[in-house]
Amino acid sequence: MATAALFILLFACMFMGMPIAIALGLSSVTTILMFSNDSLASIALKLFEATSEHYTLLAIPFFILSSAFLSTGGVAKRIINFAIDSVGHIKGGLAMASIMACMLFAAVSGSSPATVAAIGSIVIAGMVRSGYPEKLAAGVITTSGTLGILIPPSIVMLVYSAATEVSASRMFMAGLIPGVMMGFLLMVVIYIVARVTNLPAQPFPGFLQLAKSGGIALGGLMLIIIVLGSIYGGIASPTEAAAAAAIYAFLVAVIGYRDMGPIKDMPWRKEGEGMASVFIRNTVQMTLAIPRSIYNREVNKVVLDAAKVSMMLLFIIANAMLFAHVLTTERIPHSVAETILQWGLPAWGFLIVVNILLLIAGNFMEPTAILLIMAPILFPIAVQLGIDPIHLGIIMVVNMEIGMLTPPVGLNLFVTAGITGRDMLWVIKSVLPWMLLLLFFLMLITYVPQISLFLPEYIDAMKGY
Amino acid sequence: MLGKILGRLEESFLCLLLVSMTFLVFAEVVARFGFNAGIHWAQEITLTMSAWFVLFGASYGVKVGSHIGVDVFVKMLPRNVHRAITMLAIVLCLFYCSLFLYGSWIYLSKLHMIGIEMEDLPIPRWMPTSVLFIGFALLIVRFLVLLWGVVTHKTDGFHLADEAKESMHIAEEIRAKNKQEEAN
Repeated sequence: MATAALFILLFACMFMGMPIAIALGLSSVTTILMFSNDSLASIALKLFEATSEHYTLLAIPFFILSSAFLSTGGVAKRIINFAIDSVGHIKGGLAMASIMACMLFAAVSGSSPATVAAIGSIVIAGMVRSGYPEKLAAGVITTSGTLGILIPPSIVMLVYSAATEVSASRMFMAGLIPGVMMGFLLMVVIYIVARVTNLPAQPFPGFLQLAKSGGIALGGLMLIIIVLGSIYGGIASPTEAAAAAAIYAFLVAVIGYRDMGPIKDMPWRKEGEGMASVFIRNTVQMTLAIPRSIYNREVNKVVLDAAKVSMMLLFIIANAMLFAHVLTTERIPHSVAETILQWGLPAWGFLIVVNILLLIAGNFMEPTAILLIMAPILFPIAVQLGIDPIHLGIIMVVNMEIGMLTPPVGLNLFVTAGITGRDMLWVIKSVLPWMLLLLFFLMLITYVPQISLFLPEYIDAMKGY
Repeated sequence: MLGKILGRLEESFLCLLLVSMTFLVFAEVVARFGFNAGIHWAQEITLTMSAWFVLFGASYGVKVGSHIGVDVFVKMLPRNVHRAITMLAIVLCLFYCSLFLYGSWIYLSKLHMIGIEMEDLPIPRWMPTSVLFIGFALLIVRFLVLLWGVVTHKTDGFHLADEAKESMHIAEEIRAKNKQEEAN
C-alpha cells in the first residue's frame, strides 16, 4: 500500500514536469505522513541533516567548480593538439585522436554533453575536411563523449556513492579500467574501419612537437593526475582532492592558460621582450590577477554556473535521502529481494532485468535522477544475490552512458545535432552502429566483474587489507 | 532596480558560500600536509555552509531554471492542458513547501527553547538551522511568482535546466574564436 502510494505519487509528480527534487521530496513526505507516525518536524530535521552531515557529498560542488573552469574551448583545443600529435599518424588517426581527446577532456570535465560540445565542434569539421565521412565523425564523437561519466573523476559516480554509501574512492578506482577499455575498443574499431575504407593518416609531427603539445596539454591534464593520484594513493579523500582540484583548475585557467579572467589572452612573452622584463611583468600580473579575479565578470560567471548546477544536484540528493528513508522504513527493497529470491532468479538473470530497466529509464530521465531513484532499490537486492556494489555501480554508469545516446532525452544527440546542424534522425542513424558497440561493452562489463573490480581490489591488496 | 540589487546580492552570497567551502576544505588539506595540524572547527562550518548553500539556493534555482525535471511528456500536450497541469504541479510544490515550512518552524522553536549550541562553535544551534525556514519561505515566494507567470500566460511550464543547451555555449565560443582567426 505504502509502496504503491510512494511510486504512483513520484511518477505522477515527475511526469507533470515538476522539478525532480520536489517530486522525490513530496512523494516521500506524503507517504510518511499517511503511513507512519513521524512528525513534520522530524522530517524537516532529516532534510537538514541530509544537506549538512555528508562531508563526502561536498566533492560534488568542488568537482563541478573545477570542471567549470576547465570546460572551455581553449582547453579542448590543447588536448586535441596533443592527441593528434600522439596518435594522428596511424591510419584513421584523426578519429582515434578525437576519441583520445574525448577521454582526456571527459576526465577533466566529468560531463558528457560538455565533452561532445567542446571536442565535437573542433574535430568533426576537421575530420570532414581531411576526408572522413561526416556521419562517421559525428557518430564517433557522440559516442565517445559518453565516456565523460565513466572515466573518473565522475560526478555521476559520486551521486551513486551518495545513494548507496559505497566508497567514492573505490568507485573512482573501479571506473578507470572500464573507461580506458571502452576508449580503446572504439579506437580498435576505428582502426579496422580505416583499414577497410582507406581513411587518411596525418604526418607524424616529430617528437619535439609531441613533447611541446604534451607539455601544454599537461597543464589541464595534471588535474586528473592530482585527483586520481591522491585518491588512489590514499593520501586524500575525494572531497579534499576535489577542493584542491577546484583551486588548481582556477589557477590553470586564469594564470596558466589565460583563457579567462583579468589577464585573458595576455601572452607570456611579448614579441621582442627581454627575459628580465618578462619575469617582472608576469610576476606582477599573476600576483594581481588573483585578487582581481574576485570581481572579474568571467570568473564570477563560471563560479555562479557551477553554483547553480551543484545546488540543484545537492537539493535532489537531499530529497532523495528522504525517499531512501521511506524505502528502508517500508522495507521495500527487502520485500522485492525476497520475491526475486523466491522466483529463483539467478544473479545473471537479475542483471539482465537491471540492464533493461535502466536502459528504458535512460530514455526519459537524467542519469542523476535515475541513480537516486533506482540505486537504493537495486543495491540491497544485488547485495543479497552476491553482486559486488561497486560492480553494480559501474553497470549502472555504463547504462547511463547508453541513455545519453537514446531519444527522446539523449543529451549527446542534441549537442551533436546542434554542432553539425543536422536533424535528430540523421544523428541517431550516425550513432546507431556505435551504440551497438556500447551495448556489447555493457554485456562485457555486466558479465566480467573483474574488469571493474580488478583495480580497487589490487589497490586494497597493495595497501595490505 | 531594487530587484536587480537583491538578485545580485543573492548570487554573490551563493558564490561566496561555494568559494569559501572550497577554500576551507583546501586549507584543511594544506594544514594537514604542510603543518601536520588540523583546523578542528573547519568541518562543522563547511557543512553548515553546505546546508545554507543548498537550501538557500533551491529557490534561486527555481528563479533561474537550474532544476532538472522530465518535461518531454507535458510538452507534447496541447498548450492549455500543459498550462493546467503546470498550475496543478505548482500548487503541489507549494503544498510541499508549506509542509516543510511548518515542520521547520516547529523544529526551530524547539531548538530555540532547548538552547543547545553547535558542537565546535559557541553559536546556538537554531541560528544555522534557521535556513530551513528561510529557504522554504523563499521557495514559496518563487513558486508563487512562477504561478503568476503561468496565470498571466508568460510561461507554460517549469523553467527546467537543459544540459545539452548549456553545453552549446562551449561550441559557440569555439565557433566565435574560429571566425576571429579567419578574419585575421
